[in-house]
Amino acid sequence: MSKFIDRPRYVCSLGGGLETLHALPRTIPIVHASAGCGSNISNATNPGGGHFGSGYVSGMSLPSTNVIEKDIIFGGEDRLREQIKSTLEVIDGDLYVVVTGCMVEMIGDDVPQVVSEFSDSEKPVLAIETGGFRGNSFTGYDLVLQTLFKEFVVPKENKKADVVNIFGLVPAQDAFYKGNLRELKSLLNKLGFKVNTFFGEGETLEDLKNIAQARLNIVVSDFYGVDAAKVFEETHGTPYIIAPIPIGSRATGEFLEVVGKALDVKDEVIEKVIKEEREIYYDYLERIVDIVNDVDLQRYGIVVADANYGPAITKFISDELGWIPSLTVITDILEKEQEEQLLKRFENYASGLKPTVVFDTDTSAVRRNLKSIWPQNDGSKYYDSFGPAVIIGSSLEKDLSEEFGYPLLNVSFPVTTRATLSRAYAGFRGGINLVEDLITLLVRGR
Amino acid sequence: MSDSINSINYIDSKTPPPREDRFVVTNAFGGTCSELLSCAKKGCINGNERRFSQTSGCQFTLSLAILNTLRNAVIIMHAPVGCGSCSIAGAAQSKVFKKLRDPNAKSNVWLNTNLTEVDVIAGGVEKLREAIFYAESEFRPDAIIVANGCVPALIGDDIDGLLEQVRPQVSSKLVAIHCEGFKTRIMATAYDSVYHGLLRNLVRDQQVPVDERLFETDVEKLKEKYKISRTVNVLNVSSMSRADELELERLLNALGLTVRFLPCYAEPDTFTYVTDAALNISICATHDDYFTKHLELLYDMPFVLKTIPIGRKNTEIWIKDIATYFGLEAEAAKLIEKESSELDEALEPYRKSLKAKRAYLTGGEIRILSMTELLLDIGIEVIGLKGFHYDQFADPLLEVLPNKDRLLFNAATGQPFELANLLERDKPDIVIGHTGANVQVAKQGIPVLPLFGQANNYLGYAGAFDVARRLNRILKNTMFNRNISENLKLPYKKEWYEKDPFHYIKEEEV
Repeated sequence: MSKFIDRPRYVCSLGGGLETLHALPRTIPIVHASAGCGSNISNATNPGGGHFGSGYVSGMSLPSTNVIEKDIIFGGEDRLREQIKSTLEVIDGDLYVVVTGCMVEMIGDDVPQVVSEFSDSEKPVLAIETGGFRGNSFTGYDLVLQTLFKEFVVPKENKKADVVNIFGLVPAQDAFYKGNLRELKSLLNKLGFKVNTFFGEGETLEDLKNIAQARLNIVVSDFYGVDAAKVFEETHGTPYIIAPIPIGSRATGEFLEVVGKALDVKDEVIEKVIKEEREIYYDYLERIVDIVNDVDLQRYGIVVADANYGPAITKFISDELGWIPSLTVITDILEKEQEEQLLKRFENYASGLKPTVVFDTDTSAVRRNLKSIWPQNDGSKYYDSFGPAVIIGSSLEKDLSEEFGYPLLNVSFPVTTRATLSRAYAGFRGGINLVEDLITLLVRGR
Repeated sequence: MSDSINSINYIDSKTPPPREDRFVVTNAFGGTCSELLSCAKKGCINGNERRFSQTSGCQFTLSLAILNTLRNAVIIMHAPVGCGSCSIAGAAQSKVFKKLRDPNAKSNVWLNTNLTEVDVIAGGVEKLREAIFYAESEFRPDAIIVANGCVPALIGDDIDGLLEQVRPQVSSKLVAIHCEGFKTRIMATAYDSVYHGLLRNLVRDQQVPVDERLFETDVEKLKEKYKISRTVNVLNVSSMSRADELELERLLNALGLTVRFLPCYAEPDTFTYVTDAALNISICATHDDYFTKHLELLYDMPFVLKTIPIGRKNTEIWIKDIATYFGLEAEAAKLIEKESSELDEALEPYRKSLKAKRAYLTGGEIRILSMTELLLDIGIEVIGLKGFHYDQFADPLLEVLPNKDRLLFNAATGQPFELANLLERDKPDIVIGHTGANVQVAKQGIPVLPLFGQANNYLGYAGAFDVARRLNRILKNTMFNRNISENLKLPYKKEWYEKDPFHYIKEEEV
């Protein structure tokens, strides 16, 4: 039973689909919905994704059927047919994908049927019934991947021993998705593998067609992309493992061991890569050891994030930085079983600490929970106050940050206060970036 | 003093009519201004559509553009989660602007009923009820405003009925704004939807006439009446800046008038005494005709509704219209003479540097037509207009254009593909463009001045100077958009540029 949400941190299933298609090169979405959907979603994801932009054909350029009342009454299939035809005439692309909003699903338009009429056009036209109310951004991402895996990716009997795919980060919803995929790719390259991330630097639709050659899919999320990975396995026979996104030296070392083992990489090879990367990591990290110790930059940490970043960042601040992880709020819409599964990620910290983890989709919940994790001052002379603290969350945490005087690092969607173009937080290099950004927050006044 | 084209009365309807039903209006047209005027008179443009279209926004988000500025209010977006996050971009920024009016203002707060497939079957009213109670207990706002998207309208949620039920149980004022996107082709219907909700829930039955109030003495009562007789409501738009407001206030103060700004950045309470004014002044007919005509109908309030005070000529007309109502023609003439000549002199250096530049304008019809006046004063030639829609309020401004037989008007809400074709053909030196579409202009290498910005001045005399000096600065260095056009492409096939830009506009099939 779903409930209302105080300031949601995601868009709808259609939006997740559009974010995903935006990140693919020369891919043209055709929105079958009211005139507002494409534009309104872009108004959220463009600034919210660390300035994701309008890209090639997104934002106000999105082809859209713009259905109005009479289409709702008489059906929108004719309009859709007309729009697909004209889009193929006007827009230069290599893949065209029809996605749907709520209202056309409600009136029962048979979108796959209409799309099938274009099966012999020069460029492929696919149908994905994203329907806005089917879920949120993460749902849309998964639906798009599933359709691509089933209908665009070419079946390959023979797998290549040195090819893997990585997915699980939703473009724009994860403002650092592109940088993260770059870092993860680079790490797997070092282990001797070619990597497809679909949305990465220089990757093409041709590359996407051939991803069934991969021997393994690495899903860097506990939940997002997992259904798509199952579809991949059913359709193309490639198995998958779940290895959540690593941030920093310790987590990335573990990640490489898990993934390397699954790929039969020799232990010496894995350890060599970890050793080299770790040396570079600590060489950079050494530079701030002075200030951290001279000025006492240990902080209480409040993390407000999704199911991917929540565990990764909380562990990072505890086990890499030696901060006190006090409260982590996971803002995704999750089932009870998913919540229990995710809680396991917060156990066995090297620091021995255990953060309070709360699952709540409401923005106002953060403040409420903050008050409950620490005893209030009852007027005693000696009171162990909470703070100084740092909030790692979204721009919706700004008021909280100002109210309590805790600096805010904007990492979770919406990321409106930063332009995160190529920045990564994944891996060793990403870990250094996160250290940079957090320490910068604390030395701002100098 | 009322410029009523026709009076209207929808106050007892649940929702306002879509604009297509009230006016001759279109957002699918291409031709010269003269052709547009004559087609409109013949009545053959109302049903125009497109065979290829791009997303454009709807009356849901445009309603929020105003609603999100109201202070001490919580918005409930009754819709699935996609509609529920479209306010993300403005959330924190809005706080900065609200703080200019109230230092204690906070960021926007909104709840989303997050309608799912289950709710489509069972109805979403219960979730809305819970959201209302949460809004009240958690935030204690002056008003809770329920704006609905497409889905609740399609499933037939009785929002007004629920608010009636809940009203005795909450202390916040409850307002329903019916703004489902699919209801209208013309996004500007949003302004009517917002005003309709405000009129029915915050204005009607809330006004207390002066004669019914208690005063200590008769003299106090007379003072109050005098104050009201010298107070004007200036209906602001969310695209204005605070500096713009202060400029207009400055000019009206010079005539001895006190100014109240609404609806943007007002408090819900402000609407309960909106009739404490002698005159309603609109700065944009597209925005305010619904409100001003209903206030005239219900409370006999006169109004001025002609042009946006952008540029010397429009500002002069605006001041004169207001002054005439109060019998202050002489004072106005003196004010205008002084301001106008000072500005005229200040614009001289920019007339030199911007001479013979050719410009395109994109945005709301009234805004771009008013800006045209300002650009002509600076010496810039306007060679093309793209208005989000056309309706009869543009007529007086179109009629007086010197080159209306050649000047192109493309009525389009969004539809950057048409603009791309036009710009490729006409290659202006600058585009003064509405937010959201300037990225495409940049890819054609053309420099851009945003049409409006809540941190910049555009209105009045001060605004005119600011526009000129910013145009001057932007044209000094155009490297950024040049680099972009050399390295990034628009998504249109080259065959598109060979076609007529209005190739995909068609008449409605019946």
